[in-house]
Amino acid sequence: MARLSDETAQWIVLMGFIVSFSLFFLAIMLNQSTVVGQTTAEAVSEFPKEDIRGVRNVVIQSMFIDQEGNFNNRSHVQSEIKNISLARQNAVVYFSDPVYDANGTFAYYFIHYNNGVSAYNETWTFP
Amino acid sequence: MVNSGGQLFTIEGIAAALIMLATVFIIVNTTSVYTPGDTHINDMQLEVIGTDALKALNYPDNGTFGKSPLVILVENQDGSGFYTAFNNSLNNRTGENRDNIQFMANITYMNRTGMINSTPLNASRALYGGEHAVRVSQWIIVDSYNGAALPPYNIFPECLSAPSCAGKHAALVEVLLWRD
Repeated sequence: MARLSDETAQWIVLMGFIVSFSLFFLAIMLNQSTVVGQTTAEAVSEFPKEDIRGVRNVVIQSMFIDQEGNFNNRSHVQSEIKNISLARQNAVVYFSDPVYDANGTFAYYFIHYNNGVSAYNETWTFP
Repeated sequence: MVNSGGQLFTIEGIAAALIMLATVFIIVNTTSVYTPGDTHINDMQLEVIGTDALKALNYPDNGTFGKSPLVILVENQDGSGFYTAFNNSLNNRTGENRDNIQFMANITYMNRTGMINSTPLNASRALYGGEHAVRVSQWIIVDSYNGAALPPYNIFPECLSAPSCAGKHAALVEVLLWRD
């Protein structure tokens, strides 16, 4: 470093700047990519796939329970489904009594699920 | 050595400092962000295994029409039967070695006053709070009054006198799963 001319010094400085800035931009890109990966992962794990399937399944089961017994079995089970979903899965679950078409052949059931982040609505037809 | 040497050293020093800063920035970022981005893979694997095991228990045997093994186990408060069935489908693997997934199972139900209660079914190990557990659940519809047992009893603790809650009830089998 003893006998450097002015031109060499300028080159060294320029290269130093270029290298450090490129490293800086690489770091920013790396930073962004991990953030993107994390939000995707969170979206995947937060989606209540099995909760929705389970609620849908038990709601359809409950439609076929006879309205009998001390507690009126069907409506009692259905109110339990709504309450337990609210308490344990943070989800508002609502479903309708069957709506029949003009001929009375098909029954339509409306099933709604909403946990504040994901919502699921279904019209289930029977038979 | 009077004119430009000092400036050169100074500017070189600044460039070197920038490079070092950038390096530290990269290293600190990569190590700290790595974990939250990747833990979900293990969690999701546990969740899938647990959900499958519970779901398999909740189908009636051989496509027969009737109660599933899970419903029968809950109605009989058969904690050890649940342990055997669930632990086998959870931890059996091809070959000799078993997996080491631990679980704690509860039944959640609504009592007569409309409060939500949980009662334990069984657990393979006590949960101390340091474990990183995931939750899986399965809905069941049970007859709360077990007339077949001797003496007949109600399967939910709040329904003290035997027939008082008799009838069908929706309940949620909730299982916490973790590896140790």
